[in-house]
Amino acid sequence: MDALNLIAAVQALQPDAKVREQTDQPTLIVPAHALVALARQLRDDPTLRFDLLETHTAVDWLDEDRFELLYLLASVPLGHHLTLSVSIDRDEPVVPTLCEVYPIAQWLEREVYDMFGILYDNHPDLRRLFLEDDWVGFPLRKDYEDDFMLERPE
Amino acid sequence: MGVITDKLPGVLEPVPGGSVLLTAVDQLINWSRSNSLWPLTFGTSCCAIEVMMATGAARHDLARFGAEVARPSPRQADLLVIAGTIVKRMAPRLRTLYEQMAEPRYVMATGSCAICGGPFMYHSYTTVRGADEIIPVDVYVPGCPPRPEAFFYGLLTLQKMIKEGESIRHPGERRRPVLAALPEGMTLDDIRKEMQDLLSHDANVNMAAAVAEGARYSSELKDF
Repeated sequence: MDALNLIAAVQALQPDAKVREQTDQPTLIVPAHALVALARQLRDDPTLRFDLLETHTAVDWLDEDRFELLYLLASVPLGHHLTLSVSIDRDEPVVPTLCEVYPIAQWLEREVYDMFGILYDNHPDLRRLFLEDDWVGFPLRKDYEDDFMLERPE
Repeated sequence: MGVITDKLPGVLEPVPGGSVLLTAVDQLINWSRSNSLWPLTFGTSCCAIEVMMATGAARHDLARFGAEVARPSPRQADLLVIAGTIVKRMAPRLRTLYEQMAEPRYVMATGSCAICGGPFMYHSYTTVRGADEIIPVDVYVPGCPPRPEAFFYGLLTLQKMIKEGESIRHPGERRRPVLAALPEGMTLDDIRKEMQDLLSHDANVNMAAAVAEGARYSSELKDF
């Protein structure tokens, strides 16, 4: 399915989804509360069949006071790709988990929690993945600081 | 080796001509150590592709330098080639690996990351700024990553260090760490030539120098 048909098909499932212009891969901006239901529909719809969550990551937009969560979906049998973008408040970074739809999301969400401190509602095992358990702070946040880091001298 | 290094000096030195033999044994031991460096496979990032895969493959062929027997166990390795970035969580494991290696053990830090943290020196929450913050390093090979030629130059430098280095009388005494930067304009052919010179030199042990050294030492012993 090409990009325009894909976007039309997904918008028929979720009318709130907005298209982001000028992207390499079809990208839809989705409200956080609609994420899990939409992902389940995308996976189970026989014409879409998004059976793979390729990766999940986050972007810290410090100026705009929000986190952008990106879900890269792919369909192995049909060979098309889709990105879902969810923006959440930086002061209250809570989002529903995708574990029930895609089990791999357990690991991906643990990594994003480790680096950005995003809390996944209903995640079965939300612990740190790469850093030590007693690490303080979330190092990929733009305002992260600790004693170990060096500033580049001017 | 333990019998030789621990007991031989005490047995041989009082014997007339014993110190000549001792010096010859020193040369033999250092020669064999320098030409059979068994590296530990410890590649943590992109330097491992140059240092372990490219140098070990047919085009560059690490086997010519007697250092191709890469061991996956630290207990069988002499040379720890740190090829890549060291992060905070890897640092204690690196220290453990180094401590598990048998003496004499040598360490080469290859690439910017292992020397100083490289591109991750600033604004990094986890990169250790130089492997020498954790373990002592003998030879530094700069580059990002170093070309196989640069790695060979570092290996030759280490072999020279070993040959001029420890003796039975002074075990554990090392030369200071060196920066084995490839000189400007040096090519693989130059390194090959140097290696051939070294091999022909090694094939003919300089007995005259060994005898002179032994004679000097025994005369000192006589004065004593």
